[in-house]
Amino acid sequence: MSLIQTENLTKVYGAGETAITALNCVNLQVNAGEFVAVMGPSGCGKSTLLHLLGGLDRPTSGSVMIQDHPLAKLSDDALSQLRRRKIGFVFQFFNLIPILSSVENAALPLLLDGKNSAQAKHKASEWLTKIGLGERLKNRPDQLSAGQQQRVAIARALVTEPVLILADEPTGNLDTKSADEIADLLKQVAKTWGRAVLMVTHDPRIATHADRIVLMRDGQIVEDKRNAKDEG
Amino acid sequence: MNLQLTLAARYLGGRKLRAFLTTLAVVIGVMVIFGMGVYLPSFTAAFEKSLLAASGQADVVITHKTGESFAATMLNRVRAVNGIAVSVGAVERIINIPPNFYGKNSTVTGLTLVGVEPAVAPYLHADYTTPTQGRFLKQGDGNVAVISERLADSLGVKLNDTVKLPTTQGVVKLTIVGLLPGRALTGNEQIIIPLAQAQKLLDMPGRINVIEANLGVTGEAERRAIVEQIKAQLGNTYTLGGLSSGSEFLGAMQMAEVIFNMLGLLTLAMGGFIIFNTFRTIVAERRHDIGMLRAIGANRATIISLVLTEGLVQGVVGTAIGIGLGYLLGVGITAGTGAVMKSVMNIELTPVVEPPLVVVSILLGVGVTLFAGLLPALSASRVTPIEALRPALSQVAQRFSRIGTLVGAVMIGIAIAGLLTGFFPLVALGGFMFLIGLVLVAPALVRPIANLFGMLLALLFAREGTGELAQGNLTRQPSRAAITASATMIGLAIVVGAGGMMFSLTGTVMQLFSKTLGSDYLLVPPSIAIWKGDVGASESLKAKISSIPGVGVVSSLRYAQSSLQSAAIKGSGEATISVLGIDPVEYPKISGLDFQKGTAQDAFAALAADERNTIVNGILAAGANLKVGDLIPLATPTGLQEYRIVAIGSEVLSMKINTAYISQANLKADFHKSEDVFYQVNLAPGADVALAEQWLNQIVADYPQFRLVGGREYTAEFSAQYDSIFIGFYVLLGVLAFPSLIAILNTLAIGVIERTREIGMLRAIGATRRQVWRTIVAEALLLAALGTGLGVLAGLYLSYVFVEGLNASGIYKMAYAFPGAGVLAATAVGLIFGVLAALLPARQASQMEIIKALRYE
Repeated sequence: MSLIQTENLTKVYGAGETAITALNCVNLQVNAGEFVAVMGPSGCGKSTLLHLLGGLDRPTSGSVMIQDHPLAKLSDDALSQLRRRKIGFVFQFFNLIPILSSVENAALPLLLDGKNSAQAKHKASEWLTKIGLGERLKNRPDQLSAGQQQRVAIARALVTEPVLILADEPTGNLDTKSADEIADLLKQVAKTWGRAVLMVTHDPRIATHADRIVLMRDGQIVEDKRNAKDEG
Repeated sequence: MNLQLTLAARYLGGRKLRAFLTTLAVVIGVMVIFGMGVYLPSFTAAFEKSLLAASGQADVVITHKTGESFAATMLNRVRAVNGIAVSVGAVERIINIPPNFYGKNSTVTGLTLVGVEPAVAPYLHADYTTPTQGRFLKQGDGNVAVISERLADSLGVKLNDTVKLPTTQGVVKLTIVGLLPGRALTGNEQIIIPLAQAQKLLDMPGRINVIEANLGVTGEAERRAIVEQIKAQLGNTYTLGGLSSGSEFLGAMQMAEVIFNMLGLLTLAMGGFIIFNTFRTIVAERRHDIGMLRAIGANRATIISLVLTEGLVQGVVGTAIGIGLGYLLGVGITAGTGAVMKSVMNIELTPVVEPPLVVVSILLGVGVTLFAGLLPALSASRVTPIEALRPALSQVAQRFSRIGTLVGAVMIGIAIAGLLTGFFPLVALGGFMFLIGLVLVAPALVRPIANLFGMLLALLFAREGTGELAQGNLTRQPSRAAITASATMIGLAIVVGAGGMMFSLTGTVMQLFSKTLGSDYLLVPPSIAIWKGDVGASESLKAKISSIPGVGVVSSLRYAQSSLQSAAIKGSGEATISVLGIDPVEYPKISGLDFQKGTAQDAFAALAADERNTIVNGILAAGANLKVGDLIPLATPTGLQEYRIVAIGSEVLSMKINTAYISQANLKADFHKSEDVFYQVNLAPGADVALAEQWLNQIVADYPQFRLVGGREYTAEFSAQYDSIFIGFYVLLGVLAFPSLIAILNTLAIGVIERTREIGMLRAIGATRRQVWRTIVAEALLLAALGTGLGVLAGLYLSYVFVEGLNASGIYKMAYAFPGAGVLAATAVGLIFGVLAALLPARQASQMEIIKALRYE
């Protein structure tokens, strides 16, 4: 059984004549330790797919299963708990809380989960150190480069030991060098730490870091292939 | 909770100015409630203390229901009751001491003169038998007295010294023959003299006003039986227990407390609006942060508690500071008005803090903050996680609730209809509905009013187009603009409303004052209006004044206390009444009443007739539902006496006190009172003023309980006192208006933060810093104009309600004076506030770095 499994996943915005089908009967499986890049032109449904997988939005029809849990049946609180424990998010604009330090930002999910502050911060420091920010624990976001900020966001995503990392254009706001570093880091997340990573990107060069590339157009998957470079 | 507190503290710390301003709103609200709570009860308590100081320690204390004297022979009836061990008759009388009577530094403002039978009294008061120095009174003593050591200390006298005392016979010197240990009782110190001497000095021969008795039994049932027997002996015109309190003035004080509490509540409501607005903005501003927290697994409850924790921190801090400042405010007002209170009413004020006040202040301060944060917290919890992933687009336009507008319009309609009926309860209810109605319709008014003023601004900033921009900014968030305007509105409504009422009141009172007290000279006792503690003078003083060459008319007031029972009187069905004896011939020549029903000529003629006729004042007529022609049974020392009401009329001194005017002849016959407590003197035309004044001074010197003042001088003095009370009031109004400044500042600051990207864009496409600055200032002016307009409107309505309220309650017929100057001042203040509030946000917006602003999330 795959870690993620979707069945005829469909999302329609609006109703009647103005209805827009953002996602149309999508079936997708992702396994643990797999790094998947989702590509496609603007408005093809990439982000909608990501939101539905992360339980941020509810589908119009079809279903999403994560580790055999159907998301549709979960209450808002249960969904919050699932996001907290099983899923890590990485955003294009980092979305760090500007008033908190790196370690405090990274510790947030654990604090939200009721862990005590010292434990949470210890865990956060460990992850920050693993991804190369051991020297920057006390810095606030405005004292970090864009690449470093995104690393903090990745540490935040990993700190609860989730099974799945969802990244929405994680390199969209970075220079080439930082972008490559972040893509490599995500690959490491999948390969070394065994998480499933699903990354939405515009950038074909970044997509080449992934094991699998899923191409979408008009709300449907039009191509799902193993990465040639990866195979080679 | 750890996370919540950390985030709350960091967010508050990150926006120090805003956190400070929002908290300030809570501080001011709590400060007003607490400050007034400290001041007014201290005032009431001091007053009560001076009134009730004379209650005794005996088992049974018998007084006449009116508080007046009765024949000493009544004592025999009490002594006839079986089971009474000892009973004594006494005269107890509070004597207000004129300022500086015992020297400049003396703190003695009142004494209780106690006349006792030297042989019997020690059986009831064991301490009389153990003087620390000298001896107790004995049979045959004359002008001698026994006082406590403490009083001796504060008067700076020793055994065998003399102490002077104002009496109806002029100043009397008493030789101190004994000193008693200090008493634990609160209230005035006592000067104990022989009963016969007291009766002489107080002009009440053969009369006493209190009987004290100790019972020979200890069983509760037996004691009750004896008390019943005494009641049966004396009839129902006597009170067993303490002295009955003349509490009509206390009622007025409680009313003032209610009014100030209302003002404090309105201020807190204003604070609530500000906090509500701030939290709404905080939520809007942190949509991204909140969305992200939701995305990484925070549930709704966590988000709600995050916002509420921030509110709680502000509420707790604001309330704590508010209580501290409120205490200082209370102490400050006490100190500021202390001098006036001492000279007008002869009471000493000390600020008191009662535990319930602290509890209520905390509950209100923290409660309002939490309540104001609740809706924004709920709306924050509805932010979806997706919002963290999308770049934010500020809303283009926000709709307002049509239902709210409709309900508001209906409420205003009802309020206006209520106003037209002139029926006070409806008018008062209308005032409340008018305010709420305006708050509800405000969002719908934002666009038209902004458009109107926008046109003016467009003319003002014609070449830059900033006026239109400001107008657009305001109209796309009508409900936020309306909430800000509502806060401003409530602030200014309070100022205009209360100010307008003061304006009408001042006009009326000063007019009345010069009418009532417009004589050439006045002889003023230490306490005017609350006559009970004043020691007057016997009829001989009036005769002496009349005989001065050049004196034309002398009119005096005499006082007795009475009570009236009527089903129409709320509460106990009984009201305490001041009965003022006037000379119906002389009084109208020199003073006068303002008649609400009946004419001066008929009324005074009726009083002069040999019948029991009375003129009652407005507050009494309203409180007991009295009409001209009614017969009212007044409690007198000679039993109930029926007086016929011949007119309803008031004068300034007794405006707030239940008062019945009767002839001095009737006062003497029914109340046994012939003591004058207040005099007005007019000189005859062509009199030698200097000579007459010299004579007056000479005569009054023997009666230091009176102060001789010129009528014009007194009016000026009164007006100054009146102003000194109201200057404080106006300062308070200013403080109340201050939060509206914060409201505008907050909204503008928030608007600037929210539109950072837009402002960056404007700058990028070529707007100058000056243009950006002007846009924000123009927006502030529009906002202020809106709030001011509504505030003035609501304030006028409120001031009308206040005045009508006073009229309808019958306290006094007051003419409504349109506070034109007040409206202009409020408008100016409102607009100046607008510009002041804009300075900071405008600077912030115009100084923004373009690139940063464009990148701003």
